[in-house]
Amino acid sequence: MNIYAVIFYVLGAVILGATALAITRRNLMHAIVYLVFSFIGTALLFYLLGAPFLAVLEVVIYAGAIMVLFLFIVMMLKSEPDHLTLGLRLRQWLPALALSGISLIVMTVFVLQAAGGSGPLPLVMASPLEFGRFLFQKYWLGVEIASFLLFVALVGALYLGRADGKTGS
Amino acid sequence: MTAILLILLLFPLTGGVLNAVVGRLLPRRASEVIACLGVLGALGMAVIALILGGRDTYHLTFFPWIKVGDLSAAMDVYYDPLAAVMILMVTFVSSLIHLYSVAFMRDDRDYVRYFCYLNLFVFAMLVITLADNLLFVYLGWEGMGFCSYALIGFWYQDEVNANAGRKAFICTRIGDVSFSIALAFCFVLLHSFSISQINAQASSLSPYLATLLSLLLLGAAVGKSAQLPLTVWLPDAMAGPTPVSALIHAATMVTAGTFLLMRLFPVVQMSPTAMLVMAGVGAVTTLYAGAAALAQWDIKRMLAYSTISQVGYLFLAVGAGDIVGGTFHLVSHAFFKALLFLAAGCVIQALAEEHNIFRMGNLRRLMPQVYWLFLAGAVSLSAFPLLGGYFSKDRILLATFMHPELAYKVLWFIAVVAAFLTPLYTFRVFFVAFSKRADGRRAADIHPIPKFMAAVLWPLAILALGDGLLNLPGGIGKNFLGNFLAMVPGARPDLGASSALEWSMGIFSAFLVIASLILAYFLYSYRPAREPAMVGLHKMLCSAFYLDNLYRLIFVKPYQAMAGFLWRDVDNRYDRGLVKGAKALFRPYRAMAVFLWLKIDEICLNEGAMKAAGGLKVLSSGLGRWTSGRLSTYLTMLFLGLAIFFGVLALGYPW
Amino acid sequence: MVTIVPYSHVLILAASLFVLGAGCAIARRNLIMILIGVEIMLNAAGLACIGAAMRWQQLDGQAFVIFIMAVAASEVGVGLSLIVYSQRRTGTLDADRYDLMKG
Repeated sequence: MNIYAVIFYVLGAVILGATALAITRRNLMHAIVYLVFSFIGTALLFYLLGAPFLAVLEVVIYAGAIMVLFLFIVMMLKSEPDHLTLGLRLRQWLPALALSGISLIVMTVFVLQAAGGSGPLPLVMASPLEFGRFLFQKYWLGVEIASFLLFVALVGALYLGRADGKTGS
Repeated sequence: MTAILLILLLFPLTGGVLNAVVGRLLPRRASEVIACLGVLGALGMAVIALILGGRDTYHLTFFPWIKVGDLSAAMDVYYDPLAAVMILMVTFVSSLIHLYSVAFMRDDRDYVRYFCYLNLFVFAMLVITLADNLLFVYLGWEGMGFCSYALIGFWYQDEVNANAGRKAFICTRIGDVSFSIALAFCFVLLHSFSISQINAQASSLSPYLATLLSLLLLGAAVGKSAQLPLTVWLPDAMAGPTPVSALIHAATMVTAGTFLLMRLFPVVQMSPTAMLVMAGVGAVTTLYAGAAALAQWDIKRMLAYSTISQVGYLFLAVGAGDIVGGTFHLVSHAFFKALLFLAAGCVIQALAEEHNIFRMGNLRRLMPQVYWLFLAGAVSLSAFPLLGGYFSKDRILLATFMHPELAYKVLWFIAVVAAFLTPLYTFRVFFVAFSKRADGRRAADIHPIPKFMAAVLWPLAILALGDGLLNLPGGIGKNFLGNFLAMVPGARPDLGASSALEWSMGIFSAFLVIASLILAYFLYSYRPAREPAMVGLHKMLCSAFYLDNLYRLIFVKPYQAMAGFLWRDVDNRYDRGLVKGAKALFRPYRAMAVFLWLKIDEICLNEGAMKAAGGLKVLSSGLGRWTSGRLSTYLTMLFLGLAIFFGVLALGYPW
Repeated sequence: MVTIVPYSHVLILAASLFVLGAGCAIARRNLIMILIGVEIMLNAAGLACIGAAMRWQQLDGQAFVIFIMAVAASEVGVGLSLIVYSQRRTGTLDADRYDLMKG
């Protein structure tokens, strides 16, 4: 149990807590902000697990672009609050809780049973240079396809988001 | 020879397919030309085959078709003199009818469909004529049934026509069921579908089996040839265009049944019982249809009943064992009946779709060419001495009379009565429609018809009048057809009658016909006939002894009642739901409990039922929420699936 | 060699995160919250991949996370524009109102 393990567990707790808070907020903006916290924690976790480049990307893309986009949309759309009365709350969450609980338990049991997962992980850091080289050597096709995918998404979003009333259908 | 016969079959098939596929894209003339070439080409091939083949019998194979284990059916051809005669007759009459149709359908927009089906019909008929394999025959049989359905119901926009087509199809279908049973029997008993093989093995059949098989084949023939008890479709089939009636109901389809029996004559021969039944069916139908024809006011219906009657003669011929006579009369009938139908078509078109003979009249003056043509056909049909059908009908009567069994004498008598009726009903229509009447048609009523329509009929008229020459009982052309068909199994070119018998029969028939003609003249021409009221005897004859109504009572009404009951019942059940069903089941029990037990039990049961119903309702509404269409539901189900998946994995995991 | 937690712990953390995201996607009725649930799930998957990269000392896991992020970004872009579009069409973001497929 060294310092890194401690940091890991603390970060894990932060992430889980922030996410749990995020998903139970009625106010969308609050939820999103909590989620931003969660993603920042995840970024730190990525750095801890030896992926500094990805940690930065997590902050930039996830927390920075995606969550900000969410914020913009939430601010743009007038959405009525989730109609939750106290009585309904449990019934709304019950299936989720039940299924989540079952899945989590089963997954945990699996993971713990699996061989080769028990030894502590060696901590190494993958520098961005190495990572970049690796990515563009082995997965260059994937990168190209991902860029194409982003382009398609851009076109789709542009088309769907046209405000002149002639959208779609 | 194989090539010639193959091309013969391919001509109409190609014509039909071409018309079906590209007919609409071509100009009208091109489509008509394709159709006519389809049959004219077949006619040419038939003539060539006749010249090359002569009197020989050929067994050829087109194509090995089915081979599954024991069952092997190939597209075999059995070309013998009988087939040669049939093919020649079919292609010749079809060609004339196609040419006539070009003029007849000149104003119809659906001509492509018409010619396509007409060609396909000829193809199917030629398949039946040529086929050596019963499955191949069945192919043509069914094809003919379908094409006749399509052609009878050609103007399907009018429900009457569509119903007529359906009726024809269903009635012939009943015959087809009989045919398929016969096919199954053939295979089981004789291990072969090939006609030549079946004929060769025919002598090995026991009389019972031969009777059974023959009766099944008779059932098939009765359906196709509209004999009793399946006559009902033919009069209604007059809803189709007149050339269709001419082709199907004069020359081809109605003769297909007889042809089948003639082909399988060695089998039929083995069973005197079946032959008697066949002859009996033929004779009774002849009289029945002849009587019915006497009361018809629709010219086409009269011709339809006349067809039924004449085909009855064919059955009588086969039943009496005379294939030559049957073929002879078949060919004669094709000529004069087609002529009569086509001439009637000219009249009908000229009078703007008028079918009722009592609204015609004066047509001798107004349409002289058609008058003479119709007269030629009528005279031939009546078996006027020395013309047309006289020799063929006479031969059949002779064959029936000469048969050793006593029953056949009775049948002969029935056939003679029918022979008396034939000129009567024919000339009834002739006189009423064509002769001079005060209330007849005037020149202004006649719509001009193309001269071509009538011109095409002259070859038929000449043939109808002169076809007695094909098989004269004596003199120069003695037994020409009979000798030609000598090699056909079962054919007897010469009946072996004594000269005295032949002469006396001939004179007797002639006398009969002339007497009938005089009677017809007095009844219908001496004083202009008025349309009789539809009561009593007249109504019974006109509706063909109420056979249609009988069938409607026995078959149609119960079926409709049952169908109505089923859909109403089923509909009701679905409408009210399962709860009502449970409640309905429960009600008598509850009544019994109330009656039998005290209040406590009553309350208990009542409450229980309510709770059960309520529970069912909750269950159903709970289950109903599965199809709520809500996104969250579906997502939940997704996750549930995942959880189940995990669970299954967990169960299967080697702990 | 410096070590850190076993891989199973990373996986358990990722699993919990995944389950949280799934619960959010199921239990919430606002369309945007459902999408957020999806994002959480994707993030959890990325976490698992990073852990795997460390476990097997190969960079493929990290490369995969890049692709996960790319896909998540494009999916969010299109998804949000769809949400905006459907908000314009039907006037509501309540998932329960989108029940045209009912019955």
